Amino acid sequence: MTQAEIKLCSLLLQEHFGEIVEKIGTHLIKTGSQPLRVIANDTGMSLDQVKKALCVLIQHNLVTYQLQKRGFVEYEAPCSRVLRILRYPRYIYTAKTLYSDMGELIVEELLLNGKMTMSAVVRKVADRLTETMEDGKTMDYGEVSNTFMRLADTHFIQRCPMAPETTETSDAPPPPAPTLAVNEKDMYVVPNLNLIGKGKRRRSFDDEDNGEHKAKRQKQDADSQESPPDDGIYWQANIDRFHQHFRDQAIVSAVANRMDQTSSEIVRTMLRMSEITTSSTAPYTQPLSSNEIFRSLPAGYNIVKQILDQYLTLLADDPLEFVGKSGDSGGGMYVINLHKALATLATATLESVVQERFGSRCARIFRLLLRKKHLEQKQVEDFAMIPAKEAKDMLYKMLSENFVSLQDRRQR
Amino acid sequence: RIKESQNAGKMKGSDNQEKLVYQIIEDAANKGIWSRDIRYKSNLPLTEINKILKNLESKKLIKAVKSVAASKKKVYMLYNLQPDRSVTGGAWYSDQDFESEFVEVLNQQCCKFLQTKAEAARDSKQNPMIQRNSSFASSHEVWKYICELGISKVELSMEDIETILNTLIYDGKVEMTIIAAKEGTVGSVDGHMKLYRAVNPIIQPTGLIRTPCGLCPVFDDCHEGGEISPSNCIYMVEWLEF
Repeated sequence: MTQAEIKLCSLLLQEHFGEIVEKIGTHLIKTGSQPLRVIANDTGMSLDQVKKALCVLIQHNLVTYQLQKRGFVEYEAPCSRVLRILRYPRYIYTAKTLYSDMGELIVEELLLNGKMTMSAVVRKVADRLTETMEDGKTMDYGEVSNTFMRLADTHFIQRCPMAPETTETSDAPPPPAPTLAVNEKDMYVVPNLNLIGKGKRRRSFDDEDNGEHKAKRQKQDADSQESPPDDGIYWQANIDRFHQHFRDQAIVSAVANRMDQTSSEIVRTMLRMSEITTSSTAPYTQPLSSNEIFRSLPAGYNIVKQILDQYLTLLADDPLEFVGKSGDSGGGMYVINLHKALATLATATLESVVQERFGSRCARIFRLLLRKKHLEQKQVEDFAMIPAKEAKDMLYKMLSENFVSLQDRRQR
Repeated sequence: RIKESQNAGKMKGSDNQEKLVYQIIEDAANKGIWSRDIRYKSNLPLTEINKILKNLESKKLIKAVKSVAASKKKVYMLYNLQPDRSVTGGAWYSDQDFESEFVEVLNQQCCKFLQTKAEAARDSKQNPMIQRNSSFASSHEVWKYICELGISKVELSMEDIETILNTLIYDGKVEMTIIAAKEGTVGSVDGHMKLYRAVNPIIQPTGLIRTPCGLCPVFDDCHEGGEISPSNCIYMVEWLEF
C-alpha cells in the first residue's frame, strides 16, 4: 500500500460516502484490522458514528470483520477492494454488452447499493426501465427476473454470505458477531419467487392511488410491501467474475491479432465453455474435446469438423502456447494455458511500455535481454546489431530508469 | 615431420627465441594473438619481443591485423592466414566501422519479404494448415532473395542472414520455428532447418502509454501538492481537451 493508493482510497470514499465514512475507512486502511473501540479512540469519533460508518462500509463490501480467538471482533478494510470502486463503470458496461440495458441496470443497482434482495432489485430496475419507455408502456417483472437469473447462472452476481440458522434450544450466549457463510452449491441459486408486476413510473399518478397526497402514497407502498418472500437472501456483484471476463477478452483479442478471426472465435468458445467449470485462478482450463468444441461453436459459424481440427492443431503448435493438447480421446483434448497466456500478455505490455517510452532500438535490446536473461555489453551489441556507442547509451538510459539492472560477475 | 623441416628451413638463421615466438603465433591460428599475450606465454622481455616481431614481419612470416574488438589492438598471425571473422568483424564491418545503415536496410528488406509472404498466404484463402505453412520461409529462402536483390557489396552467408533475422525476432516482428529436415534438403544444417514468419504484435500499445503520464519525463517528481502535480499538468489539460 503506497501513500498514493491510500490517498486515492480516501478520495473515493469521500466522493461516494462522505466525510465520516471517509475518516473511518481511511483509518482502517492505514492501520490494518482494529476493534470497534480502538477505531473510535484513534479517530476521535463517537462510538455511534463509528458504528454507522462501519455499517455503510460493510453493506458495500468494503469492510470485513472477523471474530478473534479472544472474543472480540476486528474490522478490516482492504485497500485493494476500495480501489475496485474505480472499475464500477467498466463492470456496468460489461453487463450492458452481455445482457443489454436490463443487465446494465441490475449490476448498477447492486454495485451502488452493495447488497440487495432479488425482489428489491427487480422492482427497482423495472421502475427505472419503465421511466425510459414510451407513455403507456411498462416493463414486466418477469423479463427482469429472467435477466437476473441469467446473470446468476453465469456467476456475475452471487448470494451474500448469510447468518446461520439459530436453534431455539441453544444455551450458549450468541457470539458477539455472527459468522456468515454461504454454501458453495447455493451461491448462484435464484430463489423461486413468483414476481408478478410491472414497473411503476415515478411521476405517474394514473394508478389506483389517484389524487392522494404524494407522501401518503409512498407510505402506502411501504405498508403494502410486507415481508418480501426472499427476505434475508441478499445478492452482490461478483467482482472476480468480471475480472475473469476481462482476462478472457484479452486472451481472445491476442489470438485474433496473432492468428485470425476464426482462431479467436474458437478460443472464445473454449473459454466460454470453461467459464463456470474452471476456477479463476487455475493454471489451465479443463480439457475440452474437439467434438464438444465443435458442438458449442456459435450458430453462425459454418466450418466443418476437419477444418476445426486443423485450427485446433495450429493453435496447439503455435509458439504462443496459449492452447495445449492434453490427449487424443474425443477427437483430441485441448486446454487453454491460462497462466502462460497471462504471462505472455504481461510481457507484451512491458515491451510496449519500453517501445513507446524509449524507442524501437531500445525495445529490441529489452526483448533480447528478456530472452537471454544475462548478457555482457559486447554480446548485446552483437546480437542486437547496434553500434557500440548507441548500444551503451540505450542501456544506460534504461538502467537509469530502472528497466534493466547491472550485475557484477567475477571473471574466472 | 615434413612440415617441421619446412619450417626449420624458413627459420634458418633465427635463434631459439624467435622460434618460440613463431610457435606461439602459429598456435593462435587465424584468431591471432596480442603482443602482450605473446610475452606472457614466452616469458621474454618486451623489448626482445618487439625486436623479434619486427624481424618476423620483415621476413614476411607473420603479419599484424587490426582487431575490430579494440581498434588500438593489433593481433599477430601467420602471414598467409585469412583472419577470423571475430577479428575483422565479418560482413558488418568495413575498416573497423560498423555498417549500421547497411544492417538497417537488410533488416527492412528481410522484414518486407516475410510480410509479403505472410500476406500472400492469408489472401490465398486455402485451408488453415496450408495457409500457415506457406507463410513460413526458411533462412535459405530469405538468403537467396537477398542475394538476388543485389543490394550487398559483400558476399553474405546464410548465417549472416540468420543474424539479421534474429534482430527481427528481437524487434517482435518475426517468429522462428526449427523443424527437422532430412540431410541434403536445401538449406538444412545438421538435420535442422530454421523457418521464419512475419507476425503482428499481440496487443495494442498499452493503456498507460496512451496517457500523458506514460511518456512524461518528470513522472517521478509528480505528486499532488508539489510543484509538478496532476492538477497543474499542462500535458493532462491538452490531452483531456480532445
